[in-house]
Amino acid sequence: MNRLPWLASLRHVVPFGALLAFASSLAADDKPWAFRSPSRPPVPAVGTAGDRGAARSALDAFLLAKLQAAGLTFAPEADRRTLIRRLTYDLTGLPPTPAEVDAFLGDKSPDAYDKLVERLLASPRHGERWAAYWLDLARYAETDGFKSDDLRPAAWRYRDYVIRAFNADKPYDRFLAEQFAGDELFPDDADALVATGFHRHYPDEYNAVNLEQRRQEILNDLTDTTAAVVLGLTVGCARCHDHKFDPISQEDYYRLQAFFAAYQPAEVPVGKREEVETYRRALREWEEKTADVRRRMKELEEPVRKNFLASRKKRFPTEYQEMFDLPPEKRTPLQEQIAFMVGKQVNVAGDEVAKSMKGEVKQRWEDLRKRMSEVARPKPPAPPSAMTLTDVGSVAPPTRLLKRGDWRHPAQEVEPGFPSTCDARTALVTPKAATTGRRSELARWLTAPDNPLTARVLVNRLWQHHFGRGLVATPSDFGAQGEPPTHPELLDWLAREFVARRWSLKEMHRLMVTSAAYRQSCGGDETAARLDPENRLLGHTNRRRLEGEALRDAMLSVAGLLNAKAGGPSVAPELPSEMGATRGGWPTSADPAERDRRSVYVFAKRNLRYPLFGTFDAPDANETCARRFTTTTAPQALMLLNGKLTLDVARAFAGRVRNEVGDDPDKVIDRAHRLALGRLPDADERATMRDFLRHGASFADAVADLCHALLNLNEFLYVD
Amino acid sequence: MSIENNSLASRRDFLAGTGFGALALSALLEQDARGRETASPSPLAVRAPHAATRAKAVIFLFMEGGPSHIDLFDPKPALTKLHGQKLPASFGNVLTPMGTGGNTLMASKRTFRKHGRAGLDVSDWLPHLATCADDLAVVRSCWADGLNHVGSVCQMNTGSVLAGRPSLGSWVLYGLGSVNQNLPGFVVMSDAGEPTGGPRNWGTAFMPATYQGTYFRGGPSPILHLAPPPDVDPRRQRDKLELINALNERHRQARPEDSELAARINAYELAFRMQATAPEAVDLSGETEKTKEDYGLNRKETAEFGRRCLLARRLVERGVRFVQVYCGGGSQWDAHSDVEGNHARLCLRSDRPTAALLKDLKQRGLLDETLVVWGGEFGRTPMNEGGTGRDHNPYGFTMWFAGGGVKGGQVIGTTDEIGLRAVENRSHVHDLHATILHLLGFEHTKLTYFHNGRDERLTENAGRVVSALFA
Repeated sequence: MNRLPWLASLRHVVPFGALLAFASSLAADDKPWAFRSPSRPPVPAVGTAGDRGAARSALDAFLLAKLQAAGLTFAPEADRRTLIRRLTYDLTGLPPTPAEVDAFLGDKSPDAYDKLVERLLASPRHGERWAAYWLDLARYAETDGFKSDDLRPAAWRYRDYVIRAFNADKPYDRFLAEQFAGDELFPDDADALVATGFHRHYPDEYNAVNLEQRRQEILNDLTDTTAAVVLGLTVGCARCHDHKFDPISQEDYYRLQAFFAAYQPAEVPVGKREEVETYRRALREWEEKTADVRRRMKELEEPVRKNFLASRKKRFPTEYQEMFDLPPEKRTPLQEQIAFMVGKQVNVAGDEVAKSMKGEVKQRWEDLRKRMSEVARPKPPAPPSAMTLTDVGSVAPPTRLLKRGDWRHPAQEVEPGFPSTCDARTALVTPKAATTGRRSELARWLTAPDNPLTARVLVNRLWQHHFGRGLVATPSDFGAQGEPPTHPELLDWLAREFVARRWSLKEMHRLMVTSAAYRQSCGGDETAARLDPENRLLGHTNRRRLEGEALRDAMLSVAGLLNAKAGGPSVAPELPSEMGATRGGWPTSADPAERDRRSVYVFAKRNLRYPLFGTFDAPDANETCARRFTTTTAPQALMLLNGKLTLDVARAFAGRVRNEVGDDPDKVIDRAHRLALGRLPDADERATMRDFLRHGASFADAVADLCHALLNLNEFLYVD
Repeated sequence: MSIENNSLASRRDFLAGTGFGALALSALLEQDARGRETASPSPLAVRAPHAATRAKAVIFLFMEGGPSHIDLFDPKPALTKLHGQKLPASFGNVLTPMGTGGNTLMASKRTFRKHGRAGLDVSDWLPHLATCADDLAVVRSCWADGLNHVGSVCQMNTGSVLAGRPSLGSWVLYGLGSVNQNLPGFVVMSDAGEPTGGPRNWGTAFMPATYQGTYFRGGPSPILHLAPPPDVDPRRQRDKLELINALNERHRQARPEDSELAARINAYELAFRMQATAPEAVDLSGETEKTKEDYGLNRKETAEFGRRCLLARRLVERGVRFVQVYCGGGSQWDAHSDVEGNHARLCLRSDRPTAALLKDLKQRGLLDETLVVWGGEFGRTPMNEGGTGRDHNPYGFTMWFAGGGVKGGQVIGTTDEIGLRAVENRSHVHDLHATILHLLGFEHTKLTYFHNGRDERLTENAGRVVSALFA
């Protein structure tokens, strides 16, 4: 038997560097921690010290073991008022109503807390809250960015998809699979096609002239976003050279990129299958009836269209023009991608063509159009569409390693593959009829139960939002430059639980928020401050400031203005009048009630974030964001003090309070205070506010001012 | 110098002030003496750079849209000779956004004269600036990566054509802190529309928003929400602030371990002081008639840009670290057609105020410590577009520098004989950024911010200081 061909084929499919990495990984499991399978750590046995140190679950035991080793323990459990405010904000992004607070305080049953958790997890508001975190990761926006910042009118469907997925507790493996390869794995599921829109949220410059560069930038975005969001790896440096700190070679980078090499943006009809079928039938009928008229119109249009194309095409280099001119069936996959990008810039619609017709030709065209309306009813309106991603065909353009990451300097070709420290082989891809099958294979690997990263990264993200800081404090960097986990065993235990519980996010939420650790009070004692100043061991709860979005929702909610309508196209609240003159503002939603929808439904314009969100540290959606800053700045204070939004809300809030309790100052104070902060004021606070109410121009103004002040309080902005 | 690790920056990241705010801060520090709390240093506190240098502030005059270097600072006799001919084959294929690479060459219609002791070439479009020739170091060999406006403006501001990196002004504020805590340390103004691409050009991307630029609008209230609406009685506003303060203080006293709560109380005090300070800074009524005349405030053509140049001087005087003034915001220098008409208008608009700014800074002894930068996101092609215009040219263009330790009266680098590409002493945008940081006392490789596993810096993996500028 001749062994050489076997060797040659091995050399062909396995890059040499990868082979070395694979060999060394066999020699000893010396991979960095994040690349090793999660261990099965035993749950530590912890002694309890009465109520205070008691573990409610395994999760607590892991934390207590470390705390006790450091001479610390949990802080006392927070009072019920604090707990319901914390839980309600955490699970739904909204403050509890006074009635909800009363009900919880009055519920003496032993499972009152668990019932509260269940109620909040079942609330449709839950998905709205947690979708916002995922949208940050997905660099979600509804415009292109760059200069023209064009509208993506169907982008909101992805936002609704995420909300629905979280509310329905869609298993995370399925959630990921739909987002990576909905078109290949679930082609008949409209929801899954919307989900694959995850890979359409890159900022785009549709009118770029250097199309190979643009293509490469898009591929880089898809690669970097995938690695950061799902795997918690920062791979950007491997674009130019082997990663200096993590086992990601430059070849690995392009192996990962190769999964996306055939990418093709697509708009697909959504809606029920029957609706789409009905539309297709109606369209066919319309096309048959109008065929003759349309043919004659086209004859008139064609010369004009040709002129348009010829003049518009000219700005592209000859190579790109030639790719565009080739008949589609003659194009290579790469040429098809480039031709598509040219087409987006040069193609002209019939109406546009008609505009530049003149004289008799124009008249004939107009006559034909009239005739069309006589022979058939108007063209059936297209069903709504969604942005999705598919492949340019079943064959992918070659992926080459790029020297210094420069698309002008391609080196050797690489095949799709995973980080070689995990699996050095070329991925086993089965092409589909119209697509490469590559993204399905990537999805399979990402969601495999033994993937060392996927589950760890996700449970850590949940942990971060529940506890204020991840077990790995750098949630999208599990590499050597990131922070090592404070509790590696707990992280592994959670990751294994997550997979064992069928990737259920709600199960993990439940596990976390019912723990004793979560129920601790805020702010540690002096011993804790001395021994664990950063609270890495979690010996008390971290106080957190509301995000801009939650802050707006909370204001609208306490004022009684919040419109709880879920889903649908985004809404446009009023912009500060000073911004009216800037380019790229937006027209305010016509219906005032629509302006008061939840923040997750506010139009996400890349080049103009809603000012309150931007001022309170919302990311700019140009790249994935796993962790927002919490800055404290003077412009935030100016906005809450002088901005029209807060002043308007305060007036509505005051109106609500007076409606509910009349004009007795003490009743007004108590009601407003309870609504905003979830508790009654103490005697001193009440006296201070009573004094303040006495000095207004009128009682109505004074109450509005009081309500305005309440919305500005630290106690309103922070959750204990 | 990595000032803070962003993995933990959030809770430390707050703004402390002087005056009223300092009182609250000192109250905190008293608590420190009892061993309760370590007050964090303000992220905007004044910091020393790597080396002591003269430049303490920057004024960046951004000619947005791409001024034509071959009509302003880089005369090309060979281009005049080749007028009307095709680009010689030796120049190869040239990619431009409007596909003008194959068009014929177009001579400049401008007259150039030598100015100053050094005999600097300045076009007749800029007679006032020509009188400052001995202060200017003209870099004729600049080049950049982008072909379109938004990417190129973004690169000139952040180093990258793709959005998502902190701006030059943010890096400077991050590195040096701010002298005047009552004003933003980084201010952006435009005499026309909003700069192309908007806030990404003065944003902080992955750094905390504390270092971002503040866009000054026209009028007496330059900062968004600076003043309460007119129907809010000032006395009532003060009462309201006092109520907020009193209730916040009670809340904080029950949570003494949390410095962020104190920081937010300070932020309200700072906001209150800003309401007083910022309108004063932009109020030109105290300037002499002569100054206003010099800056062109009394002429329609120059009034808008002149006012902003004068504001830039006032802001720098008051300790603002980085001021960027856009001339023609929204790509107005973008002369795809009629470069003559377009540039004549924009030069008229900017020439007098620019010269006035340089002279005013000099006369006040501020030029030495203020680096003035002039330029656009790219230059323009020697090939014509549509017979009268010029296309974008990132391959070779001119910027100039003055003050802040720059050696004036010199030309650095050259473009080829027709002004298409930079050929000698080529200076990429990264090099210009490295040089600006150097003049402010920073080694560009060491002014870093840790983000996603990397020590990120303004100049990415490149950057070479153009030492001829100050040697």
